[in-house]
Amino acid sequence: MLETVLGFFRENDFWLEFLITVIKIIVVFGICAQIPPFMVWFERRAPAFMQRRKGPNRVGLFGFRLFGLIQPLADTIKLIFKEEVVPTGAHKFFYHIAPVFSLFTSLMVAAAIPFGPPLVILGRTITLSVVNLDVGFLFIFALSSLGVYGITLAGYSSNNKYSLMGALRAAAQMISYEIPLGLSLIPIVIIFGTLDLNSIVVAQANVWDWGIFRAPISFFLFVIAMFAETNRAPFDLAESEAELVAGFHTEYNSFKFSLFYFGEYVSMFVLSCLASICFFGGWQTGFISQNDLTSLLFGIQPLAVLVGVLMTFLKASFFMWLFVWVRWTLPRFRYDQLMNLGWKFMMPIGLFNIVLTAVIAGAIAFK
Amino acid sequence: MGEWIAFGALAGTIIMCALFVVLGRNPVGCAIALVIKLFALAGMYGVIGADFLAAIQVIIYAGAIMVLFTFVIMLLNVPPDSRSRWDRPPVEFLMVGLSVLALFGVGIYLIFGAFAGEGVEVLTRSLVTEQGGNTLMIGRLLFSKYVWPFELASILILMAIIASIVIAKKYNTEES
Amino acid sequence: MVPAEYYFLLAMVVFLLGVAGVLYRQNLIMILMSIELMLNAVNLVFVAASRTVGNVDGQIMVFFVMTVAACEAAVGLAMVIALYRRYGTVETNFLRALRG
Repeated sequence: MLETVLGFFRENDFWLEFLITVIKIIVVFGICAQIPPFMVWFERRAPAFMQRRKGPNRVGLFGFRLFGLIQPLADTIKLIFKEEVVPTGAHKFFYHIAPVFSLFTSLMVAAAIPFGPPLVILGRTITLSVVNLDVGFLFIFALSSLGVYGITLAGYSSNNKYSLMGALRAAAQMISYEIPLGLSLIPIVIIFGTLDLNSIVVAQANVWDWGIFRAPISFFLFVIAMFAETNRAPFDLAESEAELVAGFHTEYNSFKFSLFYFGEYVSMFVLSCLASICFFGGWQTGFISQNDLTSLLFGIQPLAVLVGVLMTFLKASFFMWLFVWVRWTLPRFRYDQLMNLGWKFMMPIGLFNIVLTAVIAGAIAFK
Repeated sequence: MGEWIAFGALAGTIIMCALFVVLGRNPVGCAIALVIKLFALAGMYGVIGADFLAAIQVIIYAGAIMVLFTFVIMLLNVPPDSRSRWDRPPVEFLMVGLSVLALFGVGIYLIFGAFAGEGVEVLTRSLVTEQGGNTLMIGRLLFSKYVWPFELASILILMAIIASIVIAKKYNTEES
Repeated sequence: MVPAEYYFLLAMVVFLLGVAGVLYRQNLIMILMSIELMLNAVNLVFVAASRTVGNVDGQIMVFFVMTVAACEAAVGLAMVIALYRRYGTVETNFLRALRG
């Protein structure tokens, strides 16, 4: 039985590729699905730690408390079983489609992220990203630029002026900060000479080749734009609770609300991964090459791949922590300050940075 | 075979969404239909092998232009069309229908009469990969043969930025 | 592969839908959207033709068309906003200041 199945896949290359892709999709989705519950817990425990409180530590399972790690499970169950209330006068179709759209764009971006070095099993090389594109960079920009629609649709369809205001703010903010985000990554493309994310990681084998040392200005711009792009504090004007109740998701509850949360955390995770890939060498350890690592680990290549995947997650989790840290440290910007920062400060610096990098790269190339 | 399936699905989506854009009454619905249509078109570019354009299509059209449209629709709170869809003098229908039909005839003649038999794939995927990929090919050509149009396009964009600010700026009408 | 004629046919259908939209719609924003439909149809012809011709010049044309489309949308929408401020409507059958 097993032999016939294996034989079928050995003969039909297309179906084998198909199967591998399906498995990759399931794994990446599984990873992304684990991020929000953990982050919900972390985002309440970390500030509690900073403010010398306890935070949620009570919920346990079978008498085990596990630092309250079961709390998100309880929250999720509560959210799912809540009654769904659709506001009167809401545009039904858009009201229901908006959270899905928001989550869809975040998850699609995750498809292009290479989580680890190519895995070699039985003579077959498997890249650890769902889609392996030459234009991975552009793919990520294209899909993350669509995230605005989920928010605007949510605000528009809720039939609530606070929601609409929040949605307009969020849309304006995301459009404005997409430009510095793109400009900050162009030097990376110039330096590494490719739009393929995997090649960018391969080029950063040595610590001193990492993007943060080669393009430090880009890194700072990227981090600022990253916070604004995910609508997180100090740029969370879209959902500033004191002025706008909760912004675009005021009228959402139960499962649809949790889908927005899901989308937000997944896009945070994806941008963290992108930051680690572009500026911190992704799955590279920085001091030991992938081949040396394999021979060090008794020549077992999957183990080296595992180390690479762990490196990606380690670096990404640094940025996830940064998100939480900044949220509980800095106050919120005012709207005009936000726009001034984006258009009058970050955009000129981003353009200057591109010219500078191009000149230096050209000088090195002509030398 | 794979291309036929993709073409069929994407073409169906494109035509459905385009119909919705032309016939739908709610402006936001039309804008979203147009976004889906642009997305499907980007998929079609990908099928043809223009990967760079597929990405650019989504970034520029769906990510920038259509956001601008939805933004303006929401800002002005544009209501659905005041007149019903079919509440028009028959002459208008006749004129729209006739002009569209005439153009359809010309198009059919051009496609199947004048240009027939040119559907041979010259720029295959393997050829593109040989030359360093679609993006590299476009980049090379853009910065050599088309460098002047490229620079002019940037000036055009600058002019459009200034023009749209000047036009949309709120002047104090009582003074002037 | 799908012959280029089929792509041309699809592009023509979309283009004609755009033409119908421009002639038929009364909302200025919808007219602008119909123009985007037409521009897109032309882009599809360029891309499909570029494959059969055998170079990427057609794709570069699409690049420029997109630039022009972006400028057109920005200026057009600015004009729509200005018109809305002046007359309080964006429907062509109410905008008849030039009709005498």
